Amino acid sequence: MSELGALSSIDALSAALAQEGYFADRRLVTAVFLALRLQRPLLLEGAPGVGKTELAKVLARLLQRELLRLQCFDGIEQREALYEWNHTAQLLHLRAAHESKASDDLEREVYQDKFLIRRPLLQALQAPAPGAVLLIDEVDRADEPFEAFLLEYLGEYQISIPELGTIRAQITPITLLTSNRTRDLHDAVKRRCLFHWMDYPDLERELTIVRAQVPQASAQLTQQVARFVARLRSDSFAHAFARLPGIAESVEWTQALVALQAAHLDAEVVQETSGVLFKQQEDVLSLNRLLPELMTD
Amino acid sequence: MWASHWVGLGRVLRRAGVAVDSSRIALGLQALTLIDVSQRDDVCHALEATWLSQAEDLPIFHAVFDAYWAALRQSTSPDALTLGLPLGQPEPASGKQRVQDALAELQAEPAMSLRPADPQSQAAKLAASDVQGLKQADFQSLSADEFAQLQRQVQSLRMRWPTVAGRRWRAGSRGTRLDWPRLLRTAARQGGEVLALPRRRRREQPLPVLVLLDVSGSMARYARMQLAFLHAQTQRGQRAVFAFGTHLTDLRSAFSLRDTDDMLQAVNRQVADFGGGTRLGASLATLRQQHPQVLVGRRTVVLLITDGLDTGEPAQLREEVQWLKRHCRSLLWLNPLLRFEGYEPLARGPQVLARHADAHVAIHNLARMETLAQGLTQLLKH
Repeated sequence: MSELGALSSIDALSAALAQEGYFADRRLVTAVFLALRLQRPLLLEGAPGVGKTELAKVLARLLQRELLRLQCFDGIEQREALYEWNHTAQLLHLRAAHESKASDDLEREVYQDKFLIRRPLLQALQAPAPGAVLLIDEVDRADEPFEAFLLEYLGEYQISIPELGTIRAQITPITLLTSNRTRDLHDAVKRRCLFHWMDYPDLERELTIVRAQVPQASAQLTQQVARFVARLRSDSFAHAFARLPGIAESVEWTQALVALQAAHLDAEVVQETSGVLFKQQEDVLSLNRLLPELMTD
Repeated sequence: MWASHWVGLGRVLRRAGVAVDSSRIALGLQALTLIDVSQRDDVCHALEATWLSQAEDLPIFHAVFDAYWAALRQSTSPDALTLGLPLGQPEPASGKQRVQDALAELQAEPAMSLRPADPQSQAAKLAASDVQGLKQADFQSLSADEFAQLQRQVQSLRMRWPTVAGRRWRAGSRGTRLDWPRLLRTAARQGGEVLALPRRRRREQPLPVLVLLDVSGSMARYARMQLAFLHAQTQRGQRAVFAFGTHLTDLRSAFSLRDTDDMLQAVNRQVADFGGGTRLGASLATLRQQHPQVLVGRRTVVLLITDGLDTGEPAQLREEVQWLKRHCRSLLWLNPLLRFEGYEPLARGPQVLARHADAHVAIHNLARMETLAQGLTQLLKH
């Protein structure tokens, strides 16, 4: 679908996303719609596995833009996110040119565009039409000083390189930030972004997603899976687990059940496949303990 | 006309503790021009996306928005609506009254957690701790000869305080990276010839530390020893020390005294709830509200020294520990009860701590503390 078509209204965007297999509720679609129209970065917070990263991929597909992804980690630096100088090439240039040029000219010459190595943020700014989708993934994993490197990009869509000048966006990149909320982000980052808190989907939406992702599962099985996962996340059980299964887990679980040729859910099959739902031993134990209660509808 | 409504809503939200500044309001108004403003849900979602920046604000936002929207539907004179909003000026019109009721509720409930406790509730807390057997601790009686000897030994333990590689570099003859800008500068002057390899290495910074020490009755025997230990160990670097029992006591000024015995005496004077009960959840809430700056970035190492036998609300404790965990690098739980073979956190309080702490360490004797001193750096690498 063309960019204009998808962006004409919230409904059009919602339909376009659904066509790409992404079933978002209206809250999320509104946030995305506004981020696109207002050309603001969108900060997505929420538990792991609720579809934050997936949204960026789908948007890139939908708008036929290139997806650039910056995975954040503790200790990530400017040179991994913005740009870096190609020192080896600079040195070679120096050696090749030293006989014909004065040293001051030489020094200036090695800081040229052609010696610049572009990292995702800079790539996003310089992406050719129709532009790029930049995903700054799990920004909460980076440390606080790193957030400062993002501010200029998020606020003005530009990057200043001391030796070269300021590089501005040709086409404003669509920028999504995700955070699993292992820590709170700095206010300066939040202020430059639109914000959306992604919750677990309701039963209906989960059903739609699981059906679309695992079409070979029977209607009865998908229904049972969605119900079971919804019960796990309900107030009466959620506190027993350190990490609740997200949408990714319910989809994987359904696939596992299909692979095991389980026609319906029972206590035994849940126990056998508990490792798909929970990735921590304590949670698996809690599941086994609560299973009789969970299975009685 | 519409714009003034939404600006009014922004003001109400600000009063309810949601940080909506004027640039956000402007952005929200811009967003409303792009959508169908007669659709209640769309307006709600649009303002949510543009005005909020944390999930905690969602319930407040929705409560205010619902009341506001309803009032907007009923009100015939929109201007009167925004004018009538300031609290404490009840207007007879029914539409406005409903908004005010909603706002009054808002003020009564979430405001408690958003603002520092007022002096009155502080007084109430003190009264509560009286009931729980508050008494002035006598540190002197604890200082028997062998205790003093042990304390000296504890103080002389040498601990390698964990450091983190800083984000800044410094030039040096050794180091992990070449100092390329310097290398290129000298090379350019020497005709592209590299004669020396200037290097750079990261500056090491000690991690900031926050100590939360339980001074309740069940912990009394360990508190002094821990204080002496930590006072000697954390001389360099950023540190914050708080004691908690029924409420939180800031020990930073006492800890700035150089002499350990002076420090212990000062602490003795300051801690009013020594030997009382434990309300960790409430104490952490005070920390969050009044001293959030003691948690630096996400680098702070938190040493939580307690047996975890909390007498407060388990739900509050869980919430506060989760908050603490989100704001620190690691949360170490130093637990003297761990000396018992087969100790398992069974009560609600210890369970919450065990689930959220990054490590759970015994500290009941000198040998254990030596292990801790040597192993802290190791513990934090996970």
